[in-house]
Amino acid sequence: MELFFNPFDSLVCILLGISFTVWFTLLLVFIIVPAIFGVSFGIRRLYMKSLLKVFEWATLRMERGAKENNHPLYKPYSNAIIAKHPTSLEEEIKEIRRSGSNRDLDSAPEFEMSDIFYFARRGVESIMDDEVTKRFSAEELESWNLLTRSNYNFHYISLRLTVLWGLGLLIRYGILLPLRVTLAFTGVGLLVFLTSFIGLLPNGRMKSILSEKVHLMCNRICVRALTAIITYHDSENKPKNGGICVANHTSPIDVIILASDGCYAMVGQIHGGLMGIIQRSMVKACPHIWFERSEVKDRHLVANRLSDHAQDKSKLPILIFPEGTCINNTSVMMFKKGSFEIGGTVYPVAIKYDPRFGDAFWNSSKFGMVNYLLRMMSSWAIVCSVWYLPPMSREEGEDAVQFANRVKAAIARQGGLVDLLWDGGLKRGKVKDTFKEEQQKLYSKMLVGTQEDRSRS
Amino acid sequence: MGSWQARPEQQQQQQQQQEQERWHYEELAHKSGFSTEQIKNLHKRFRQLSGNKETISRANLDSIPALANNPLKKQIIDAFFDKRNQWQDDEVGSLEEIGLEHFLMVMSHFRPPAHKSGEEERQAARRQKLRFLFNMHDTDGDGIITLAEYRKVVEELLSKSGAIGHQTAKAIADAAMLEVASINAPHMAPDDFYEGITFEHFQQILKGLEMESRMHIRFLDVDTTTMRCGKAPS
Repeated sequence: MELFFNPFDSLVCILLGISFTVWFTLLLVFIIVPAIFGVSFGIRRLYMKSLLKVFEWATLRMERGAKENNHPLYKPYSNAIIAKHPTSLEEEIKEIRRSGSNRDLDSAPEFEMSDIFYFARRGVESIMDDEVTKRFSAEELESWNLLTRSNYNFHYISLRLTVLWGLGLLIRYGILLPLRVTLAFTGVGLLVFLTSFIGLLPNGRMKSILSEKVHLMCNRICVRALTAIITYHDSENKPKNGGICVANHTSPIDVIILASDGCYAMVGQIHGGLMGIIQRSMVKACPHIWFERSEVKDRHLVANRLSDHAQDKSKLPILIFPEGTCINNTSVMMFKKGSFEIGGTVYPVAIKYDPRFGDAFWNSSKFGMVNYLLRMMSSWAIVCSVWYLPPMSREEGEDAVQFANRVKAAIARQGGLVDLLWDGGLKRGKVKDTFKEEQQKLYSKMLVGTQEDRSRS
Repeated sequence: MGSWQARPEQQQQQQQQQEQERWHYEELAHKSGFSTEQIKNLHKRFRQLSGNKETISRANLDSIPALANNPLKKQIIDAFFDKRNQWQDDEVGSLEEIGLEHFLMVMSHFRPPAHKSGEEERQAARRQKLRFLFNMHDTDGDGIITLAEYRKVVEELLSKSGAIGHQTAKAIADAAMLEVASINAPHMAPDDFYEGITFEHFQQILKGLEMESRMHIRFLDVDTTTMRCGKAPS
C-alpha cells in the first residue's frame, strides 16, 4: 500500500513546491521589487483598461438584451454633468467683490456690476443640471453596478448576467483576494520588522533616511495589495517639513494612499492588538504622534504636542484629517478647530475616489475594520485621484473657524463631488437650500440691510 | 432570447450611426473646446431638455424648475437664443430655436481656462466671458448699454421682491451708471449726455475682477482610462 502511494505523493509534493516557487517569484518580481524602487510596470493600468472594456461590452449586451425583452431597467446612480459650488449667495458675492474692487472690505456692500456674475452662473448651472430632471434622466444599467461592485443586494436579471457575476465573484474571491492578502501580510510584516530594526540605530541622518525608505516601500506594497490605481496631480505642492497636511477623509485607506507618495508624521490614538503593534513599531523609526486614550480628551495637551512637532522644522509634516482620523475614531470635534490653531503652513490635499469601481466609503457603524478591508480587497480595484493644493496660512484677522472653512472650500472645489462633512460643530448654521428661498429677496435684503446700517452710523 | 447574434444589417447600421455620431462629436469638440465625453453628457442633457427633439425652444428652458428662482431668468434664457453669443462677431438678432451646436457654443463661455493656456488665450477667454455679460445687458444689440437698459437689469434683480421699491431700484441704477460715467469719461461737462457704456468701458470697469474662477462651471470629466499608476507627468 505504502509503495503505491509514495511516488504519487512525491509527485504531488514536487508539483506543489514548483507552483509555490513560481508564484512567489512572480510576486516578488512583478510586485514587490517595483514597490521597493517606486517604479511601475503599468500592469495595473492595463488591468483597469481591460476591466472597463469587458464591463462596457457586457453591459451593452445586457442593455440590448433587456430592450428586446422589455425588461425595466432603472439606474440608481447617474453621472452628474457639472460640480456645483456649495457656497451661499452672500459668501459668493462677497468673494466676487473682494476680488474685483480695491476698496475697503468693511464698507457696506452696495450694488456692483460684478454681482451679476453670480446669478448668471447659477442660472446656466440650473440649465445644465438640476435635481428634478436628473432623477428621470437616461438610465444606467444596474448590471454595471452588479459587475463592478461587490454589492450584496443581488437580484436576478438575466441568466447571462448571473453567469458573469458568478465568474466575477470567483475571480475576485478565488484569485485576487488570496494574492492581495499575501501582499498585505508581507507589507505589514516588513513594516513592523524593519522599523523595529531601524529603531535600534542611533538617532541621526542615516536613521531618518532609512526610515523614510522603509515607510515608503511598505506603503507601496500595501497600495498594490489593494490594487489601488492612484494619480497624483500637482506634485510641486507636496507638503514640506514643518508643515501640516490636511486632507478630506473618506476611508482608512486614505492614509496609505498619501503615505505611499511622501513621508508624514501620523497622528492618532494608540490601539491594542495588531494595530497597536504596528503603531508602536512605526514610532521607533520615526516620530509619529500617538496619544493614549486618556490624553485624547485633553485638548490642550493635544494642541501642545502638535504645535511642538510642527515648530520643529526638521520634523516631517503632520498628516491630519480634520473630520476625525479613521484610525482612532474619536469625536470629530477634537481636531476640528484644533488643527487650524496650531499655526504654521497648511498644505491641503484633496482625495477623490472614482465611484465606478466600487464604494470606498467606510460605514463604521455597519462594518468593522476587518470586514471593511476584506470588502476592499475583494473588489476589482480602487481608483482615485490625489490633488496637492498650494499651501495656505492663516491671514490677519481670520480666526481658526474661518480659516478652516477656507481650506475646506479649496479642497471641496478641487475634489468636486466629494461631500465634505466638516460642518458639525461650527457655530454658523449651514444655510439650507438657499435656492428655495427667493433669490431676489435675499439679495435685496442684503443691500437694504446694509444701507440702513450706513444711514444709522 | 437568441440575441447573441444580432442581425448583421442591424449591426452595420448601428456601427454607421455610431461612426457618424463620433465624427459629429469630434467636430463639435473642436469648435467648442469641450472633450468628447463632456459633449456626450451635454447631448444627453440637451435631449432631456428638448424632449428628445432636435432643437430647444424658449418654452423648454422656461420650464426648468431650478431656474424659476433666478432673478435673471429671462436674460439668461435670451442669452441662449442670442446670435451674438455664437462666437461670430457680426451677427445680431435672435434665434427661435437652438440646436446642439448653438447650445454648446453658449456653454463654452463657461468653460474654465485650460490648465496650461498662455497669456493671450487667457485674455481672449476673459474677453469672451465679458462679452457674454455685456450682451446680457445690451438688449437691443447696438453695442452700448444705455441707462434705460441698465436700469432694466437692476430692476429685474431687485425690485420685484418688494423689499426694494421701484424708486430705490431706479436710484441704485442711476448711481451705478454715474459711477461708470465718472470712471470712463471724467471730463464731461454737466450738460453732456453720457450715451452709455460701450464694451471697452465695460471691460475697463471690470478690469481688476478675477473672473476666471467666478464665471466658470466645473464640467466633470472622469475619464479613468487616462489615469495612470504613479505620478502624472506635469
